[in-house]
Amino acid sequence: MKEVVKAAEGEIYDLELSVDLLRENEKIAEKNRALLKEKGVKAIDIMGSIGTGKTSLIEKLIIELKGKYRIAAFKGDLTTTIDAEIIEKHGVQTVAINTGKECHLDANLVKKALNQLDLDNFDLLLIENVGNLICPAEFSLGSEKRIVVISVTEGPYMVVKHPFIFFNADVVAINKVDLAQAMEVDIGKLEADVKRINPQATVVATNCRSGKGIQSVIAALGL
Amino acid sequence: MHESSVTRQIVQTVLQEAEKHGAKKVLEVNLVIGKLSLLGLEQVKFVYEIFVKGTIMEGSKLLIEERDVLVKCNSCGYEGQFSYGDVSGYQVPTVPIMTLQCPKCEGTVEIVEGRECLIKSLKLIGP
Repeated sequence: MKEVVKAAEGEIYDLELSVDLLRENEKIAEKNRALLKEKGVKAIDIMGSIGTGKTSLIEKLIIELKGKYRIAAFKGDLTTTIDAEIIEKHGVQTVAINTGKECHLDANLVKKALNQLDLDNFDLLLIENVGNLICPAEFSLGSEKRIVVISVTEGPYMVVKHPFIFFNADVVAINKVDLAQAMEVDIGKLEADVKRINPQATVVATNCRSGKGIQSVIAALGL
Repeated sequence: MHESSVTRQIVQTVLQEAEKHGAKKVLEVNLVIGKLSLLGLEQVKFVYEIFVKGTIMEGSKLLIEERDVLVKCNSCGYEGQFSYGDVSGYQVPTVPIMTLQCPKCEGTVEIVEGRECLIKSLKLIGP
């Protein structure tokens, strides 16, 4: 503890603080990452706007991977446990994280949820973030990989309008590709937009209903 | 969108520090907010006024310095501004798009500065 310098009575003085609040989140995220690594759990942060198919992707990943990994899931939502229950039906231990009015998950909420799991019993953790294409970009959770799920029903400009979320994405799934023609959305263009923003992201076209592209997502996530 | 929770955290942190130093009043709070942070400055200022009410921060000046984005290329060592590429071919006017592509080479840049939400310093009245 540094010595605290006290000012004289009534004196006006400056105090240097240099506290970065977003850095504080990063510190907790680093701790989460270290804990997960120590326990041998791979964690994936699944982000994307409302209704793009994040939960459907998780369901498909569970079906494909439950023979290989012991899977747990965190499900972030403002209220309700609807999605958590959908995931739980697949026999996966699920922790619902209700953020109240908060627009994203943060490292501290994930830390609390991690306390509810016996990590020795799992080796893959799927974290579904709150449906939002903006705020989750700013908060690392401590995951190993981050995937953004977008879909053609959001229209052709979704990527260029929300560049921030793609900066930290390892994988981007363009979902509902079966509807591309009806939506008059060019998948190639969406992919080019993502690569323009983040040349290192892997882009996969998916249909989480039929299972198209799921194996490519699994490969891209290194699972 | 999360301005209110971040600003609440700012106010809590400042109050804690002020208390630690036995300050009677907080006159000024200096923040640095990066241009790539997703915080809207107008909203931060708006909710700040609400959160400081009834505390020793009430009436304090909130000064926000916006920090430019600094990127560094891992391949060629380029250090400087973010680059904006054009996106054409849409039926909308050409829009500039932020890109992590290095303006000098084919590499990918890393964001070094411009994401912060820093409480830099305070001006206090001593006990």
